[in-house]
Amino acid sequence: MKVFRTKYRMQRLSLILLVVLIIILLIDLFPFYWVFVSSLQPNIDILTGKTKLFPKKVTLKNYADLLLETAGVTAFRHYILNSLKVSFVVALFSTVISILGAYGLSRYQFYGREFIGRMLLFIYVFPTILIIIPVYEIMSKFHLVDTHLSLILIHTTIAAPFCTWLLRSFFDSVPYELEEAAAIDGCGKFQAFFRITLPLSAPGIFTAGIYAMITSWGEYIFVLIMINSGTKKTVPLALAAYMSHVDIQWGRLLAGSALNVIPILMIFLPLTKYFLKGFLEGALK
Amino acid sequence: MQKKNQLKGYLFLSPIIILIAIFLIYPFVNVIRISFFKTQFGFGEMEFSGIKNFILLFKDEVFRISIRNSMIWTVGSLILQLSIPLGLALLLNKKFRGVTFVRAIILIPWIAPVVGVAMMTRWILEPQLGLVNKILMGTGLIREHINFLGSMTNALPTLLIISSWQFIPFGTLLMLASLQTISPELYDAIKIDGANSWQIFRYLIFPLIGSMIGFVFFFGFVWNFNTFAIIWMTTQGGPVNSTMTLPVLIYRRAFKSFNMGEAASIATIVGFFLIIVGFLFFKFLWKRTER
Repeated sequence: MKVFRTKYRMQRLSLILLVVLIIILLIDLFPFYWVFVSSLQPNIDILTGKTKLFPKKVTLKNYADLLLETAGVTAFRHYILNSLKVSFVVALFSTVISILGAYGLSRYQFYGREFIGRMLLFIYVFPTILIIIPVYEIMSKFHLVDTHLSLILIHTTIAAPFCTWLLRSFFDSVPYELEEAAAIDGCGKFQAFFRITLPLSAPGIFTAGIYAMITSWGEYIFVLIMINSGTKKTVPLALAAYMSHVDIQWGRLLAGSALNVIPILMIFLPLTKYFLKGFLEGALK
Repeated sequence: MQKKNQLKGYLFLSPIIILIAIFLIYPFVNVIRISFFKTQFGFGEMEFSGIKNFILLFKDEVFRISIRNSMIWTVGSLILQLSIPLGLALLLNKKFRGVTFVRAIILIPWIAPVVGVAMMTRWILEPQLGLVNKILMGTGLIREHINFLGSMTNALPTLLIISSWQFIPFGTLLMLASLQTISPELYDAIKIDGANSWQIFRYLIFPLIGSMIGFVFFFGFVWNFNTFAIIWMTTQGGPVNSTMTLPVLIYRRAFKSFNMGEAASIATIVGFFLIIVGFLFFKFLWKRTER
């Protein structure tokens, strides 16, 4: 195995590595391509099994059907607006809360700091299914069942801990001395933070916000238990409901899934390296 | 260096801590309380019933099936989700043009919303229209359409593979990052000593990335054990309980049969189990990280 011999030098791809890479990328990405390319073909072709891998003609009819229809349960536009509303607010709340928390973790010395930091990271895989019952109870006590506010609260709680963890590593990498120097030059302490650390951590803040938005946009369990009325559904719940119809409208469903997945990936792809950086700071330490 | 102002540090963290306390920690504890109550119609009439819920559970056949399925699910997933990422990470641990791009792009299944993934699964594995069946039929490998999600024998393994497909890129990137902390000089040194590839792995790589493997193991364990959405949106635990794992059972008992007390007792058992696993992880695997 020559794997270890030429490490850490830019090298031409060896044939075997190239083949493996292509296989990995195919397994990874092909399903997404297939859903997308299917969604661009006429519903009748989809339902009769004539879906093509490389269609010569594409149509946006499925998207038009999905988005322009106004009758009854098919008001998909409405669900997109609901999802956008909830996830934007979650992104905003999470960003503010995590900037505060990360600043505290990064700039102050206090008892239990490392424990709290670690706890924030591990909430990334918090077993939410175990708490659906008490959370439902809390929400019903505050008369929040079937409101978007309940989703905003719980989604922020799920997303913000990881955002805080992520931002802390960005704040940590800005030397405190820089802030101090600015403070000596006549900036206030907070002004120094806003003028120096915050701009330098912009990629982290952006990643945290987008991460929170995506978490909320795709979250399913709590939407499932909290939302009852048809008008308040978010996209995941609406799509899941379409899926359980007896005769599945594949054309619209595929278009809906493409709308659910593709914009998110477009926004997040450039940020994956920051996402990983934030994650690994803790995992490798 | 850092300000040693204790109170202010807590103050900055208070919003997030309050949210976590109300919506994660308090419910995690409160679920134990609910598990001791007999409930009807949600939280309408709660009546203390001691450990009756637990006794009922252990007589419950579906609960036993769910435990078995959850075990198969978690162990099976972890085998795939540790071995494949480790192999891929060793293979990809090189610098080549486009490496950053590849790393960003292979993370897609992990980021994609689970509804999209469930949808995709159903479309690709659809018995009549699905691509996989078409390819298998076309190449003559099978004579009859395979019903991946609708058969008792196929459903669990199929979903296990889909769910692992989501996790593997993430696991790979974590292990890859860990591999890249090993400096090239160490490889040179051990090779001068005449080590072969296996010895390099055994004595150099493994000790240094062992803690990362432990980390991925723990993350994967908790993540897999609590997987709900993908199962619920594809099979709802069926056919005939063949994909009924503990999370699906908790949801079904709580929000389909509205037996909150019993669902809470399942959640309590799972919670304690995960706490034990977490304790063992922090005691034996995590500590090593802080050499």
